[in-house]
Amino acid sequence: MNALGIIFSYSERENLRELTKRRTLASLPIAGKYRVIDFHLSNFVNDGIYDVSVIAKNNYHSLTDHLGAGKEWDLIRKRGGLRILTPFARHDSEKPGIYRGSIEALAYNMHSIRRSMAEYVVLTGSSILCNVDYKDLIETHIRTNADVTTVFTKQKGALGGIPQGVAIMNFDENNRLTNIGLETEENNTGDVNWGLDIFVVRKSLLESLVADAMSYGRFDFNEDIIKRLISNLTFQGYEYNGYLLEVNTVAGYIQASMSFLDPYVRAKVFQRPIYTKNKDSVPTRYYDGCYVNHSIISDGCRIEGTVENSILSRGVRVAKNAIVKNSVIMQNTEIMRDVTLDHVILDKDVIVREYRSLSGHATYPVIVEKGSIV
Amino acid sequence: MPYRQNRQMVAMLLAGGQGSRLGVLTNKVAKPAVPFGGKYRIIDFPLSNCVNSGIDTVGVLTQYQPLELNAYIGSGQPWDLDRQNGGVFILPPYVKGKSGEWYKGTANAIFQNINFIDLYEPEYVLILSGDHIYKMNYQLMLKEHIAKQADCTIAVLQVPWEEASRFGVMSVDNDFKIQEFEEKPENPRSNLASMGVYIFSWAKLKEYLQKDELNPESQNDFGKDLIPSMLSKNEKMYAYEFKGYWKDVGTIESLWDANMDLLLANAPIELDDPPWRIYSRNANMPPQYIGTNAILVNASISDGCNIDGTIENSILFPGVKVESGAVVSNSVLFSGAVVKQNAVVEHAILAEDCIINERAHIGQAKRTEAAEGPKKISVVGQDTVVEAAAVVYAGESVEGIITKEVRE
Repeated sequence: MNALGIIFSYSERENLRELTKRRTLASLPIAGKYRVIDFHLSNFVNDGIYDVSVIAKNNYHSLTDHLGAGKEWDLIRKRGGLRILTPFARHDSEKPGIYRGSIEALAYNMHSIRRSMAEYVVLTGSSILCNVDYKDLIETHIRTNADVTTVFTKQKGALGGIPQGVAIMNFDENNRLTNIGLETEENNTGDVNWGLDIFVVRKSLLESLVADAMSYGRFDFNEDIIKRLISNLTFQGYEYNGYLLEVNTVAGYIQASMSFLDPYVRAKVFQRPIYTKNKDSVPTRYYDGCYVNHSIISDGCRIEGTVENSILSRGVRVAKNAIVKNSVIMQNTEIMRDVTLDHVILDKDVIVREYRSLSGHATYPVIVEKGSIV
Repeated sequence: MPYRQNRQMVAMLLAGGQGSRLGVLTNKVAKPAVPFGGKYRIIDFPLSNCVNSGIDTVGVLTQYQPLELNAYIGSGQPWDLDRQNGGVFILPPYVKGKSGEWYKGTANAIFQNINFIDLYEPEYVLILSGDHIYKMNYQLMLKEHIAKQADCTIAVLQVPWEEASRFGVMSVDNDFKIQEFEEKPENPRSNLASMGVYIFSWAKLKEYLQKDELNPESQNDFGKDLIPSMLSKNEKMYAYEFKGYWKDVGTIESLWDANMDLLLANAPIELDDPPWRIYSRNANMPPQYIGTNAILVNASISDGCNIDGTIENSILFPGVKVESGAVVSNSVLFSGAVVKQNAVVEHAILAEDCIINERAHIGQAKRTEAAEGPKKISVVGQDTVVEAAAVVYAGESVEGIITKEVRE
């Protein structure tokens, strides 16, 4: 594919509480062994896009650690490959890495984007997991002679409404964008088209649009490029009907995580391979007296207790008589004897000592920060 | 000329064996590519031992059914053996001038690759085979070899006397200098068995390989020809005693046994060992899903499995599916095996992608039998389909499509 994929590793409107205190949204663990960015990278690679740039803003240490040189995603390439665009101090800016919007983020990294030999650019955020067919998207973009093609959906989000803060779009009968606004209501369940923050544009046009907006001090892609130029350029819509998982909020994250227990969702999501960092962990061991019911378990776990309706990452230890229910347990955590967890998110490297009991609620899970000892 | 760094020691891994005693399991793959332990293949053990011992130049000598093995090793990246200098090399037999022949024996395989070894001008050569499960630091053995100024050092371990006649055994003096070497003797005089791990000083080995090649009587085998010939010439040959877990997995029973060893309460070999990790090529599958009807009793289960039945004392490779009501006990299921509703699999090895249909029964027909006497292991070959309610009896090996009851 003659395209450069650009992933924004952060979200301007996320609320993931402690989960993103020390990491960027794209490196949030999900579905056991994966990180959010694995889905975006694998989608690109599965559609033949081997030239991918990841724009990082802050807290990107865990992201660079996870991605390395891009080996697992087959992104060590002579032509293209993976680039992580980290913020840097410039003589003309006071606060490096604090982008005032996606346009500024693109502008500050234009030196790298310009160097790519790709003709088209596909831009995506991190907070919505889906599997847009990029081949078809780019072909449609070319066929319709659009200046910018934007991906939208009519589906309700995972929480039953339209996610707050997304762009609401109206199209004419030829799918040409006629109007764009911002979703401000909470839990809007109306019948609208909302944007997935995925765009295709010719690279040369993107370069000039970004340069132009920057010269006027305009930084928001939806507001300052699309809305302003809606009558001058053709913005085409491309409807998406596949699976959708949002990980912008804790409630969305829990919902998205738990949806992997549904065989229908797993079949859809893992229809094509999703690549992730290889840890060379051993297979999971289940010992006498364990009880596991309706759960996703990753490699390298040792389970002696009870696990129900939960998602376990790699290398989790669940000791005798411990009970883990309705919870998301991240990598290398240790749950000791006679512990009870219900609706809990344990971040990486947490130890829960004997006889502790933690209980949250579906709408407000207990989050235990990375490395804590309870 | 590209820059090439000389190596102190190069490893040569003999991976050309057919492994005919593994029956249907090696119909399509060479023995070193046979799966082991839930996500590994036998060859992962010597390769990982090499890398963990700091040996980064490994020649893998292939001959029998090499396709899967070649694809598995690939660039060597999973073992960190994709290197600018050195790394892993697949070495099949090749045509030389007007001649060219198959590897006639283990020693001949090395003889035919003298030029490869010479590229690295090593002082020592480590000879390994691809049919054992063990974790060993070859560097410690090399230290001994150097300290004793040996020409050849053979790794040995003590085996029970009654089993000694299955191995090459050696008698040693107090300093572990080898006095006598017997290949599979009827009345063994020692219980120090060769592990098939040798370190040779390269100059000496080269000399003997060339001599051995000129001898028309020779079978060109290390154990049968080369080592006895070196002994008879009073070369300095020492045994190096290894004290750890080592298992030959050349037969169905021993392969099954070694897998079951991993499930013991105090497993004699621990694979969850970060400083001495066993590396393998990643299957790239989603995590396993354990369903609402699953009962797991002492099991080892890998990525991509979908389990809704009962698993007891068994090892499941990536992508295995066990449906509700099915029972899998004391068995090893290779990647992609499917056990459908209410089927029973006992004391069996199921090879890749085989399908056991509803109510079929593999292995010990009555589970009570399993309690006493030596177990007979049933084997279901790669891509085999066992039809609904069909029976495969204890100790049988089957392939193809099994439609009706098979009687012994």
